[in-house]
Amino acid sequence: MRWHPTRRARILLGFVLAAGVAYWGLGLNLSGLLPKTGGLHLAGDFFSAAWHPAFGYESTGFVPAEAPSFLLKVLHGLWQTLEFAIAAISLAFAFGLVLGILAADCFWAERGSGWQVFRWLLRIVLAAMRSVHELLWALILLAAMGVNPATAVLAILIPYTGTLAKVFSEMLDEGDTRPADALKYLGATPLRVFLFARLPRSFPDITAYAFYRFECAVRSSAVLGFFGFPTVGLYLKQSFENLHYREVWSYLYGLILVVILLEFWSSLIRRRFVA
Amino acid sequence: MKGGNPQIDALWKSRPRSRALRFSAWFALALVGCVWMFSNIQVAELWNAHRLENLHRFLSTRALPEPLRSHSGESLWLWCNQQMQAYGWRGLEATLEISVFAIVLAGFFGSLLGSFGARNLMSAHPFVPHATAGHGDCSHALDRVAQAMRILCILLRAIPEYIWAYLLLAMLGPNAWPAVLALAIHNSGILGRLAGETIENLPAEPLRAMTMAGATRKEVAVAGIFPMALGRYLLYFFYRFETCVREATVLGMLGIVSLGYFIFEARAHDQYDVLLFLVLLGGLLVMLADLVSDLARRWLRRGV
Repeated sequence: MRWHPTRRARILLGFVLAAGVAYWGLGLNLSGLLPKTGGLHLAGDFFSAAWHPAFGYESTGFVPAEAPSFLLKVLHGLWQTLEFAIAAISLAFAFGLVLGILAADCFWAERGSGWQVFRWLLRIVLAAMRSVHELLWALILLAAMGVNPATAVLAILIPYTGTLAKVFSEMLDEGDTRPADALKYLGATPLRVFLFARLPRSFPDITAYAFYRFECAVRSSAVLGFFGFPTVGLYLKQSFENLHYREVWSYLYGLILVVILLEFWSSLIRRRFVA
Repeated sequence: MKGGNPQIDALWKSRPRSRALRFSAWFALALVGCVWMFSNIQVAELWNAHRLENLHRFLSTRALPEPLRSHSGESLWLWCNQQMQAYGWRGLEATLEISVFAIVLAGFFGSLLGSFGARNLMSAHPFVPHATAGHGDCSHALDRVAQAMRILCILLRAIPEYIWAYLLLAMLGPNAWPAVLALAIHNSGILGRLAGETIENLPAEPLRAMTMAGATRKEVAVAGIFPMALGRYLLYFFYRFETCVREATVLGMLGIVSLGYFIFEARAHDQYDVLLFLVLLGGLLVMLADLVSDLARRWLRRGV
């Protein structure tokens, strides 16, 4: 009896094959999963520290007397992380909304082909903006303009604007068309159809997605700390290098708490919009 | 907006309002205002003469490819070819392989996390209409499993890939596993949550019909939920694949030989022309992955 795989089975088989080729190409083997010598010890130390995160500096020897308490340092790091994320996402939301509208098909409905060319050029620019990772933008901008808090904001802002604009334009285009049609047949101009039927309809989706991206921006901002910006990533890296794993977990728990709070806030908003 | 029309006024007054939304909007505005007014982030700083001079110097010297800078007559094409031979192809291959392997792992574990975290599947009597449902004795245990899975998903994705990779690298040493595992862990958390949501949003009627025809929980999951949820899940899968490629590029900075490794090497040797070339190459790869994932999703929307 011959086996006739369904389309589903073939898709899944394709994934397994692709993973196998990648595994082979990377030269991986399962023994690589075992921690290297000393690594096991380190892993044990690290994960056992998860049960008792630090509430004060782990070694006070090198901490200057006038330094703030450890918990204040954690809070400060988290607030700085949020500051970069808020600054970046507020600008990215504004730019993304404008560019997203300009890149949406329905905004240019019933206009000449010249505008369509403009729309496609804009889409390519947006794709280029978001195809370079924020850390790479940070690397380039650091070399080009020097160290400055605004450099980090710009590094997050550029790719996030690209992503938000793309998704916003898709949301505008894929929304329910019936209200727009109704207004159109009542004689509204294309601009009014857009402003009063398209835009308000997709606003809940746009807000929800912006919130999700804010959560991502918080993570990006934390990671930028590894490059010397004063976010929680910088302190985390320093603690890890000093083998203060309990401090590392305090920072990680802080970051997780921020993400959970954001999640809570965004689900609150989403529920109100849907209801 | 006070027109003379009482009907419109009445409609305006009875519009849906939510205190939570209003509070959220003001709170968000206050946060943004607070950051722009009181923090040391000054965007205007970027446009002062000193920074612009830096930028100009960077673009006109360090960022220019070697043959253009030194006017050595060596062709630009040859230079690009050399970079491709030295770093480009190896970096591209490794980046792609890391992201493919990681996303398949994440897809597998994410679907497991999602299935065990879905509240409808993990209830004591899944998909049984309320009238005929018995009094569950194991309901609390299953609820707790589902809750634990959802919390696990949050923990997995709250920590950025980069930090996972940094931690794993210290434990496993420099090979490709830390990058693969970091991407797989973070994305399992994201896909697990999305899979759980997908399963919870499935139409209940077909699943209920299966249950009433005598299917067990396992049978409903395999024969009902899996085929119904796969299409939507794959949409998310491909969306995450695109992000995986982006992240895999960057994870090389930790010493794993993807494009990011060579980018970081170029930075360490102050070869910003090579750095920009490799960044552009990575950008092209991401755009390609973006295109593939877009096409795959369009194809999937027509049904699996």
